[in-house]
Amino acid sequence: MKKMIQYWNHPSRSAYLFLAPSVILLILFSVIPLVIAFGLSLFDVSITMDTAKFIGFHNFIEAFQDSRFTNSLKVTAIFTGLEVPIQVLGALVIAALITKNNKRNKIFRGIYFLPVICSATAIGIMWRMILHSNIGFITAVLQSMGFGKINFLNTPGLTIFVVAFLSIWRSFGISAIIYVTAIQQVSRSFYEAAEIDGAGKILQFFHITAPSIRPTFWYILMTRFAGALQIFDIIYITTNGGPNYTTESTVTYIYSRAFSSNSNMGYASAMSVILFVIIMAVTVLMYRRMNKEG
Amino acid sequence: MKRSCNGKDIIVSIPIFLLLVFLALLVLVPVIWMTFSAFKTEREILSWPPTFIPKTYTVENFIDVQNRIPIMRYIINSIIYAGGTTALALIVNSMAGYAYAFYEFKGKTGFFLMTLATMMVPFQVIMVPLFLVVFKMGMYDSYWGLIIPRVAVAGSIFMMRAAFSGIPKELAEASRIDGLSEMGIFWKIMLPQVKSAVITLGILSVNGSWNDLLWPMIITSKTEMRTLANGLALFVGQNTIEYGAAFAGAFLSLIPMFVLYIVGQKYFVEGMASTGLKG
Amino acid sequence: MKNWKKLLAIGTSITMAISMAACGGSSKDSTKKNEKGTTISFWNSFTGSDGDMLVELVDRFNKENQDGITVEMDISPDFDSQLSTAFAANTGPTFILSSSVARFTYGDHMQDLSDIFEKTDLKKEDFIQSYLDYCSEGDMLYFVPFQVVGDYMYWNKDLFQEAGLDPETPPATWEEMKNYAQKITNENKNVYGLGISYESSYQVARILQRFGGLAVTEENGIWKANFAGNKGYEKFLTNYKELLHNGDNPVEADTDSMMSAGQIGITLGGPWVTAGLDSAGINYGISLVPQGEAGDMNPVEVIGFSVTTIASEKEKEAAYKFIEWWNKENEEGSSPALEWSLANGFPAYTYSVQEKDSYKQNEKLKVMSSTNPDAPSDFIVDTSFEGIGQIINDVIPEIMNSVAFEDTAIPEILEKAQAKTDKILEQYN
Repeated sequence: MKKMIQYWNHPSRSAYLFLAPSVILLILFSVIPLVIAFGLSLFDVSITMDTAKFIGFHNFIEAFQDSRFTNSLKVTAIFTGLEVPIQVLGALVIAALITKNNKRNKIFRGIYFLPVICSATAIGIMWRMILHSNIGFITAVLQSMGFGKINFLNTPGLTIFVVAFLSIWRSFGISAIIYVTAIQQVSRSFYEAAEIDGAGKILQFFHITAPSIRPTFWYILMTRFAGALQIFDIIYITTNGGPNYTTESTVTYIYSRAFSSNSNMGYASAMSVILFVIIMAVTVLMYRRMNKEG
Repeated sequence: MKRSCNGKDIIVSIPIFLLLVFLALLVLVPVIWMTFSAFKTEREILSWPPTFIPKTYTVENFIDVQNRIPIMRYIINSIIYAGGTTALALIVNSMAGYAYAFYEFKGKTGFFLMTLATMMVPFQVIMVPLFLVVFKMGMYDSYWGLIIPRVAVAGSIFMMRAAFSGIPKELAEASRIDGLSEMGIFWKIMLPQVKSAVITLGILSVNGSWNDLLWPMIITSKTEMRTLANGLALFVGQNTIEYGAAFAGAFLSLIPMFVLYIVGQKYFVEGMASTGLKG
Repeated sequence: MKNWKKLLAIGTSITMAISMAACGGSSKDSTKKNEKGTTISFWNSFTGSDGDMLVELVDRFNKENQDGITVEMDISPDFDSQLSTAFAANTGPTFILSSSVARFTYGDHMQDLSDIFEKTDLKKEDFIQSYLDYCSEGDMLYFVPFQVVGDYMYWNKDLFQEAGLDPETPPATWEEMKNYAQKITNENKNVYGLGISYESSYQVARILQRFGGLAVTEENGIWKANFAGNKGYEKFLTNYKELLHNGDNPVEADTDSMMSAGQIGITLGGPWVTAGLDSAGINYGISLVPQGEAGDMNPVEVIGFSVTTIASEKEKEAAYKFIEWWNKENEEGSSPALEWSLANGFPAYTYSVQEKDSYKQNEKLKVMSSTNPDAPSDFIVDTSFEGIGQIINDVIPEIMNSVAFEDTAIPEILEKAQAKTDKILEQYN
């Protein structure tokens, strides 16, 4: 027994012990389903998986000829381009401003965290109501301020911005809090040293804070990226892809193909594979970059 | 770091304060609107011109929620689901994050990329295969089936990896020399260093399960296994929405999460690493 | 450090409490199963207030029935996800309630119910034949009707009055409807004359059908699409586009809440619209939707009970007992089906319910049941066309979005829809 413990206590071996639970769980409940799902992309198979017919790459060929799929990729790219930079950088700036554990900052943090803990269903009907083109509270306030009637949720070209805003609204709080925990971890002695050297707050931020929290920055950037490219729920509960498909993201379209119209699981899987390849490519590039820095 | 009160600081801090207040309003106005609406009559929620502060207050919506769903049963289920998932998730994901941050070992990149890969496929697509796996393992309609598949989360592992990466490597070396075992280093030295991150992860995990709608619904088939989020979704019908009841329910389910957050934030501590190295 | 340990202690105790609660929960379940009698599961998607009534009625059945049957109902906010994943693992409920078009998706998991008329007291002659036809395919009966969903016209009497119209006389034709709408619209008050949502494809499908007949029909054994050059469709869409442009109909997906807020003069919708209008205190009237060019028709969707293949013979019988109970009269001459109709405003699917006094006296139901029962009951496509889901979820939304947001001419939009439908038809021809 003692020998066993000694054997595993070696740093390079105990790493596997630390990893084992997560790897086992991930393989069982994520990797295996994922491999099955990818396998399905080669079949003509319904959602209930009754009959499956092997059709090779037909689903993939069909996807690239499907204008709604290519449109959905475009929508997803626009959404990601809007959401990720604002979320990742904006939350960092805010986090830097509310890092110190004083009363004021704690209140702000508490407020910013509120949307994170609201249920998606509630957020959806709430925003649909207050942005309603006719009886919405915000619409009415803006109209009385002389902005005219703004139809936030039914104007092609505008609604995608609204959706991106809602997505940031919903989750910037958590991004900021995660940054705060990272910044708080930075050793205070670094700042003390900088202060003695006479460096100002802004200089301190760029020379000490920013480099120290790089791992967290990469974490937020990469997860937000993967999240934005798979944006689904905020769209599903507010616009459901409308108006005129200008907010129909790839996953929204995949969902409707899998469940609502002709429940073609094979086709939905094929589109997911394409999306997966895109996200994976971006992530691997970022991962390389991250490791170089590390 | 004493607060200096010179003129330059004030010029900078006023716009900052205004920015923070503006963002706070962006968040608060809709949330307060929803809270007020929970106390409005259905008639007032849908009215033109729209109101912000209720003209008449009513608790009718809350009574409606209480009459319509077995709310205590659902809250207990939500606590079991969220608590169980979180307790296990904290251990499993911190351990993995620590391994990726502190150890060099064969296959590190491979494992990590595999972990990342699992967060790149929409849940809606792996839902059916995942259901089959869980079903074949005999966990359908059980709390285990609800909890176990949701424990290991790539995003959480990644987050803990980032948190641990901020700790100087020397700290581990020093403890090793002191004769601590690897598990001891992780548990006694390292984990307390990233306390804030652990708490954040805990809150996130509880919150994720608390508001999860889809998984509890497909993996359990009985009404008495439903969670609060499922119960509240009943007020949003296919054809009609009962706004008052839905907002009242949302308000009720928000409170425990907010309390949890406030309690959790008390444990946020600044600049732990500096004391850690000395001790 | 002290706080840290306290936190850990709290965490551990929570975990323990949970595992105890989890054990407690499961042991309770196992004792339940040991009881005698049959327990059958019943899934449906009746979220909202009518689901509440369904809960009450199921509870009543559980108390009343003498055969020891317990119905465990589960109302699902995402019925399709729940059902399809369960079916994929060959598990699932004993019986369900769903739209009869679900047979095209889950048909392999549904049992033939045609023997229900032999095994129970239900009489086939009592059911309105066109609804039964709707639920069958050849000799196979997939569904026993539960509720018939069609559209009705609702008008706001106060807004009629303000516009100088007679509040008691709804428009009798589509022309009139358009004229009235123009009169009612009041930009200063944000009031719109007509409220037909561009996003509600079910509703639009029913209107299109009234104007230009079915979108997919059978001809010499092959399916044929009827979009291109369809004058009826063209007429409605042209009018609709004009109404949107002139601001007589809002460019808004959610028109129901506007109607409840008293901001819309005339709207169309299912019987559930009344629930919202009642609780909002709107002074409204209800009548039949004017017929269009395509003649007398009854565009409805039928929702019914279906027994799954998961059910054993015994469970199927228990489900039959429930369906029988649902339609059976008690001493006072009432039945759950009648109560359901009266409370939720759904027209009856049996002659016996139609004959009841309480039914006849109900203002709303009188209007709803005044449709010609001999008019064919179908919905946008030939009843046996399997691709109905794609027509409703893909083709019609594309038409409506083009009409609302693009400058494309209506005939061109219909040609595009034709091409799209032809492609869908390839799968079935």
